[in-house]
Amino acid sequence: MLALLPRLRRFAAGLARDPADGDDLCQAAVVRALDKRALWQPGTRLDSWMYRMMRNIWIDEQRARTRRGETFVAEEAGAGVGAGGGQEEAVELGVIDRALRTLPDEQREAVLLVMVEGYSYREAADIVGCPVGTLNSRLVRGRDALLTRLGDGV
Amino acid sequence: MSVTREELAAFADGELDADRERQVAAAVAANPALAEQIRAHRALKARLGAHFAPILQAPVPERLTAALRSEPQVVSFAAARARKDRARVLPRWSWVAGPALVASLVLAVVMPRGGADYAERPLSTALDRQLAGSQDAAGPMRILLSFRDDSGAYCRAFAGEAHSGIACRDDAGWRLVFEGAGVPVQRGDYRMAGNPAAEVLERAQALAAGPALDAAQEQAARERGWR
Repeated sequence: MLALLPRLRRFAAGLARDPADGDDLCQAAVVRALDKRALWQPGTRLDSWMYRMMRNIWIDEQRARTRRGETFVAEEAGAGVGAGGGQEEAVELGVIDRALRTLPDEQREAVLLVMVEGYSYREAADIVGCPVGTLNSRLVRGRDALLTRLGDGV
Repeated sequence: MSVTREELAAFADGELDADRERQVAAAVAANPALAEQIRAHRALKARLGAHFAPILQAPVPERLTAALRSEPQVVSFAAARARKDRARVLPRWSWVAGPALVASLVLAVVMPRGGADYAERPLSTALDRQLAGSQDAAGPMRILLSFRDDSGAYCRAFAGEAHSGIACRDDAGWRLVFEGAGVPVQRGDYRMAGNPAAEVLERAQALAAGPALDAAQEQAARERGWR
């Protein structure tokens, strides 16, 4: 599981739309995985199992926030969070982060699982718990929205 | 023959079955608009991959690795404070932390060897030794990422003022499989979009058999001499 942590952090940062929230999410997933390790079936993929667990925690958290009437951080907040600390780079990171942030959760997770994490449609659909065709169409809608926001030149 | 947007994305991701893939490939070859959509899909994939790549290279926060250890963590106050001080100095997603392995490199030279171009020193030295996760941000040559191609060979995408490109390791050395223009350095950082580095990353995406190597995998590959 230690070897999976960098990838789990990457998915969490994209899912939670913020690296700090991402690490909180990642930690919650690690704790729950240890708690439920008896439920993991050896021979199945640990990474998919962890991604699924992390995604479910995220969705539960979303519902809880909605019930509490909380809203997300302002769109511009966190736009300057980036690697290296270079101003130019921070601006560039912000463009992609903001574009991703506008996607509905179901489209964003499809885009992240396939286009960033490199899962096949079948594997991504298993993690999300939906049919492959649904995953495919969410991916296309999310991708098209990103292309529109980022400009077709990409 | 009509191709849906879903099929086009599946084609770009290599997800269609063999029959349908042949049909869509023919449609794409005959229709520049479809080819452009495939290009946009792959370019977006490369850009997203590059955007999130620094997280893979960055050190994992201690609280996450600590959560994995079963024994309770007893940490002295002084140690905790030292760690906090360290965290203040390093930006959260710092991927340029750590000492530079190759302090200075000059113009890279490329020599033909039996019909193919191979990297000569100092480029070959940088490819042998520099790690994407710990290199001099202001150095003349940067490794953008490392990956394995379909044959299992290690390949590395690099960018420098003089030129950029992708080299794959084989018996004779680092064979250059793609060469691009030089990448301007801006305050020590390479911007990932709108410059030749984006093209290099897009090519890397197309060549790679899987995701980019993370810091530990890259280090292990270097220890094995990239073979």
